Amino acid sequence: MTEPRNPGMSSIPQAAPVHTDSTSPAVEMDPVEYTLRKRLPRKLPKRRNDVYVNMKTDFRAQLARCQKLLEGGGHREICVHGLGLAINRAINIALQLQASSQGVLQLAANTSTVELVDDLEPEDPDEAGEPMTRTRNNSAIHIKVFYPDPQ
Amino acid sequence: MSAAKVKMRGKKMRNQPVSVQYPSSSAQNGGDTPNPERTKNPHQRGGWVRGHQKDGGGYTKEMPKHITAGSFASARAAEVQAMLTAVTKTTGSCHVYGALPKHMRRRSMSHNTKRLPRRLRDVANRMREKSLQAGSKKKKEQPKSKSRKARRRHGNLLLEFNRRQRKNMWLETHIWHAKRFHMVKKWGYCLGDRPTYKCYRACYRAMSSHCLLQDLSYYCCIELQGEEDKLLACLSLLTSKETGPTFAAALSLSGRRQGSVVLYRAGQYPSQPLGPVTFLWRPLVPVVIPAGVVLTPEPESEKTPEAQQVTGTKRKHSGKDASVPPAKKILGDGTRSPTTAVTWKSSSTGIVINDLTLELVRYRLIGPQSHSVLAETLEAATDCHEIDKSQSSPLWWPEHCKDENKMNLHQQQADVYHILKGIYSTGELPPGTVLGLTVDDPRVTLPTKKVKALPCVKQAQEVDEEKRKELMLQGVPEHCCQSYLWEQSVRDNVTDNKISEQQLNRMKSEVLVPGSRLSPIPLQGRVPILLVHQPGKQVGHEMSSWGAGWDLLLPKGWGMAFWVPLVYRGVRIGGLNMTLKHSQNKGVSHFPHDYPDCPAGVRFQEEQESELLDKFKRRPPAKRTNYIKHGCLAPFRCPWQQLAEEWELITREAESQTTTEADTVMEEKMTSRRDITVTKPQSHVTVLRNRKSLRLLSGWCKPTTSKGQRRCRVGEVPPLDRSAATSFLATHVMSLVWVRLSLLSKGKPEFHAMVCVPTAEDLQLLKKGSSSTGPQEPPHKDHFKSRIKRKKKGNKKTSTPALLPKTDSNESDLPSTSEPNPTTSKDPKSSSQSTSDLIFGLWPDPLPSVTSHCSRVTLGWVTQGDFSLSAGCGEALGFVSVAGLLNTFVNQPMEHRGTLLLRNPTSLHYRFAKINIEV
Repeated sequence: MTEPRNPGMSSIPQAAPVHTDSTSPAVEMDPVEYTLRKRLPRKLPKRRNDVYVNMKTDFRAQLARCQKLLEGGGHREICVHGLGLAINRAINIALQLQASSQGVLQLAANTSTVELVDDLEPEDPDEAGEPMTRTRNNSAIHIKVFYPDPQ
Repeated sequence: MSAAKVKMRGKKMRNQPVSVQYPSSSAQNGGDTPNPERTKNPHQRGGWVRGHQKDGGGYTKEMPKHITAGSFASARAAEVQAMLTAVTKTTGSCHVYGALPKHMRRRSMSHNTKRLPRRLRDVANRMREKSLQAGSKKKKEQPKSKSRKARRRHGNLLLEFNRRQRKNMWLETHIWHAKRFHMVKKWGYCLGDRPTYKCYRACYRAMSSHCLLQDLSYYCCIELQGEEDKLLACLSLLTSKETGPTFAAALSLSGRRQGSVVLYRAGQYPSQPLGPVTFLWRPLVPVVIPAGVVLTPEPESEKTPEAQQVTGTKRKHSGKDASVPPAKKILGDGTRSPTTAVTWKSSSTGIVINDLTLELVRYRLIGPQSHSVLAETLEAATDCHEIDKSQSSPLWWPEHCKDENKMNLHQQQADVYHILKGIYSTGELPPGTVLGLTVDDPRVTLPTKKVKALPCVKQAQEVDEEKRKELMLQGVPEHCCQSYLWEQSVRDNVTDNKISEQQLNRMKSEVLVPGSRLSPIPLQGRVPILLVHQPGKQVGHEMSSWGAGWDLLLPKGWGMAFWVPLVYRGVRIGGLNMTLKHSQNKGVSHFPHDYPDCPAGVRFQEEQESELLDKFKRRPPAKRTNYIKHGCLAPFRCPWQQLAEEWELITREAESQTTTEADTVMEEKMTSRRDITVTKPQSHVTVLRNRKSLRLLSGWCKPTTSKGQRRCRVGEVPPLDRSAATSFLATHVMSLVWVRLSLLSKGKPEFHAMVCVPTAEDLQLLKKGSSSTGPQEPPHKDHFKSRIKRKKKGNKKTSTPALLPKTDSNESDLPSTSEPNPTTSKDPKSSSQSTSDLIFGLWPDPLPSVTSHCSRVTLGWVTQGDFSLSAGCGEALGFVSVAGLLNTFVNQPMEHRGTLLLRNPTSLHYRFAKINIEV
């Protein structure tokens, strides 16, 4: 990925504690003993018309970027991806795009589940021994925004 | 005759003997020439009378009746004599060229005498030699230098190179770097500081989206051999569990992960730190060897005696000097053996310490694509089937091929390496993973053109998804961390049997199809390597895993063989300043800069100060920044000790004020002050590295995202009040804490900028409009200026004693800007001596109170500051006093907690900044 700011990075911290506290009873974890470090979500190669939405960049800037791609960039379709907390924003962007195009643009949404990796580092190295790695799932949305074919 | 002509004539006639001056008209009547033989000629008698006769140019009518032979002859002799002297003496200009008419003179004659007419050549040659001798007296002393061709001959060139690296050692990539980088001499090495071309942003982009390559071979590398428990027992004295995982951490002990610690002098924690160390345990083998890779030579020189003290070792070699390379003329390849590995052995515990500095080459690749660069450059070693198994070979690889187990291991390592190719970003791997591998000579697969290595995730689909996931979760299995790089014999074998570039090129040229790959690859080209994953940004909440990468460890001698193929994969090359920027963006303290309590850090600070001071003094005084007027006490250094002491005093006062009455407090203050000034020097300032305390502090300063837009979630933090602060300070009064400050509005912090506490009005200002840029510092008055002036005057008059009492009286009102402080009492005494070394624009040495010098109370200083390309705002890293910070937090209202002011030394403008302590 050519961009340092990717979608997952800033969205995870908000989404994560919910998972760590409630959804993983299997791992018995004392918050004092372990430090949680989140790894980056797995990245895939990115085309020019892929837009990964994050929570750090200004909303208007991201919207403008999508519009530029559709109008100036000459793309017939773009994909807006959002992960975790950024799902909301991705949907928002897609709807805004559609509204501003006076209904010419169409949307096709797909959801998926992304597997994320956390590292658990023990605080006291001599007692706990092995640091743990675990996976958790987070939801993602992929919205295709496109001009429908003339027929 | 015009005046000029007269002048010229006068010049010409300067050397003519006055007595024999003949008028020009005399040419007509040759009878005037006083040749003795002509005297017999009858109508030349006029010549007997010397000089021109006034009467119409005619001659005396009457002939002289007689000639007195004696007087006549003596008169003629005198004339002849005069003529001869006139002839031998050069007149007018003494250049030969002057003898030529103007139209025949050529400029080139001056250096090519053959252009002169033959008659003048000799003279010209002589004169030229004379002038050369006079001009080049110094040149003659130098040995006659050889021709360039002779100097560039291989052997001579190597001799020259060996001579040049006697003082400061060269890395293997030195020549490559010297052609492209500004080189600096540091820590006994010649290192590239920054490239000569513009690439600051390009390097940043390379780090964040592709790959940046650095040569870090100058890192000290120390190998410890011994039994595991004994080693651990010794090493545990040097570290503390409070600062995080130590040498005994289970994962690094297995050899699967690299660990990093901060070392302290044996048993001295938390004071007297030595420096940061990364270490690697050798897996699987009963003899456990951690290679403590110390960052720079300074800590190394500290560490080795320390380690010996701990382990009770005795040096085999006489001293530190043993590690200095013997100045022998090595005509071999570039793999000079600079340090004959220095070894110490402990008699009691049997621990052996080897100094492996420069025995291993270490390259660091930073960036998400660094593993694709590696995957494209390196290929797992091909085994040798065709070799006769019974025949023993001097090379190590054929020997290994015979062993089934070793080949199995190699196969497994190659598999893991293959999976690695399918990963998109380096940050996806478990941090600190180690992978041992044997690879082919990368020169064989060198592309003809520079290409940009890109990830091939298509290939990833072929790779088993399960295996990839396992690698991401579990990391490299333990046995695959084994590498033959650990073995001295293999290392030496590989280094000795390296094929030279020349030979390899010849082999390539003999390939049947030009440009096709060389196959089979010569057996010498199998190199054991070690790949160590470097975690990216692990602290803070943003940009996590930024700057992750791989370290590539090679046996010595193979540096350039790997460097050029890596460069051909489109990586950027960074120098020392990129290392600094990398650690700055990563939120990791950089070694000598951010360790002011380590000996190396102290030394670095001193060097930096003298360097900056020299630079400052080079400017004319009128063009210098007047730091006194800016209220900046120490623009070139940070008096940490004084800062910590003053804050300790302030907190003590605050405590005592709450308990006792005001009058007694004053008394106490006076006494305590005296106590402190006397007793304090033994307790030194330390940097807070206790993880628990840091986490607590971090929670108290309300962590937010970089520009302070959003709050970050933190765990449960006990509320901060006066009692909590007091109990915290009980242990950490004299500590500094490393913080990150991000500016809320514009501004670019510079190093040694002041971190200050905003007043209540400032916070009101901030609350009213977020657009407010911050308060101003009222300009200070420079009291020293007049003193410098007077001193200058005094020097002129040489009447200094009369001035001294005046300066003293002036001194008393000097520190009126600041409240009374402990240093005031010292000032007058020292002023008389310090006037001698007053520098315009700088405070003389005994500084007044650093905390209360300006209108805002100073908490600390910035050590590195810049516009951060990753955060998009000005960011600074610096230290603040823990006591001061807590004091500030307690007094600040909750909504503004963690907002501080930052002011550059050359500016009067304060900027608001958000403080973050990242653990």
